[in-house]
Amino acid sequence: MNQNKRILIAVALLLAIVGIVLGVDTLQRQKAAAGAAADMPPGSIPIFIDGKFVASFVPEDLNQLKNVSFVDAEEGKTQDGWLLRDVLLLYLGEDNLQTKTEIMVSSSSREKTQTLTWAEVEDQQNMVIFDLSGRGTLKLVSTIPGFDIRDAWIQDVDKIEITTP
Amino acid sequence: MALFSALVVVAKIALRTPLQLPGHSGIFWMTIIIVGAKVVPKAGAASIIGITSGLLASFLGLGDFGALNTFLSYAMVGVASDLILLLLGGDSENPVVAVIVGIFGHLGKFLTKWLFGIISGAPIGFVALGLLRAIVGYILFGAIGGVLGWVTLKALKRAGFFAYLAEKR
Repeated sequence: MNQNKRILIAVALLLAIVGIVLGVDTLQRQKAAAGAAADMPPGSIPIFIDGKFVASFVPEDLNQLKNVSFVDAEEGKTQDGWLLRDVLLLYLGEDNLQTKTEIMVSSSSREKTQTLTWAEVEDQQNMVIFDLSGRGTLKLVSTIPGFDIRDAWIQDVDKIEITTP
Repeated sequence: MALFSALVVVAKIALRTPLQLPGHSGIFWMTIIIVGAKVVPKAGAASIIGITSGLLASFLGLGDFGALNTFLSYAMVGVASDLILLLLGGDSENPVVAVIVGIFGHLGKFLTKWLFGIISGAPIGFVALGLLRAIVGYILFGAIGGVLGWVTLKALKRAGFFAYLAEKR
C-alpha cells in the first residue's frame, strides 16, 4: 500500500472517530432531553432550596456572568470560569442567601460533595468558580485553604443545593 | 525513553501557554513523543514513553480526574501514536505523517478522558458545543505538536544526530 493510501485511511479513521464521539454525545443529549423537565434542559445544573427545585443554571445565561480566573497553586494551571456567587445571585437573588446559608455542590457520578457557607462563596477573594472542563462539564474550584486542591474540587457538577439553618 | 517520559511530565508541569483552550498542552506533548519515537529506534517506543510518563504523572498527582485516568490518558498518547505510526509506515520525517501522528496521539488522550466520562456516568456537557470545541482543540494542538516534532527531527538530522547514532551502533 502506498503512503497516500495510508494517509487517506488515517484521515477517514479520524473523521470516523470524531463522528462517533459527536454522534454519541448527540444521542446522550436527546436521551437526556426526552427524560428531562422543561425547566431542566440537558446539561443544565439544577438548583434546589431546602429540597425544592427553584431554577436551572443554563449556558444561555453565561453572557450575564463575569469571567474570572486564577492560577492554582498545585499545578500552576489557570482555572477560569464563572463565580458561584454570581450564579446564585442571578437565579436566587440576595434574599435567599444569608451569611450562614449553606451551599452544597455535588457530583453524582464522582460521588463528591462540597459544602460552603454563603460567606465563603460571596467573598470573591476565595475564587469559588465553575471552570469548564475539557469534556464540557463544570468543575467547582477555589482557593479556599483545604478546598484548593484537585482531590477536593468537584468535577462533573450536576447539582446545587441551598439550605438555611 | 525514560528521559523522554520525564520530559513529557516536566513539559506538562513547567511549560505554560497563555491559551485557555482545551488540549493546548498537546503542543509540547506531541513534539516530545514524535521526537522520542524516532530517536529511539525500537518498536513500541512511543507506547513505553507514554506508559512511563503516565506512571510518573500519576505518582505526582497530576490531572483532575484521579490517578487511573491520568495514567491511562498519558499512556494512550503513546499507544495511539505507535498504532498510527504502524499504519503510516513509521516515517515521522514526513511532515504529513508527523501531523497525523500528532493528531491521533493527542486524540488518544481525549478519547480516554471521554470514555472515562461515559463509563463513570458523568453528566452531559454543560455547553452544547463544549465537546466539539474540545475535539477541535485536541486535533489542532496535536497537529501543531506534530509540526514541531517534525521540525525538531529535521534539525537533528541536519545537525548529524542520526548519522552519529548510526555510527555509534
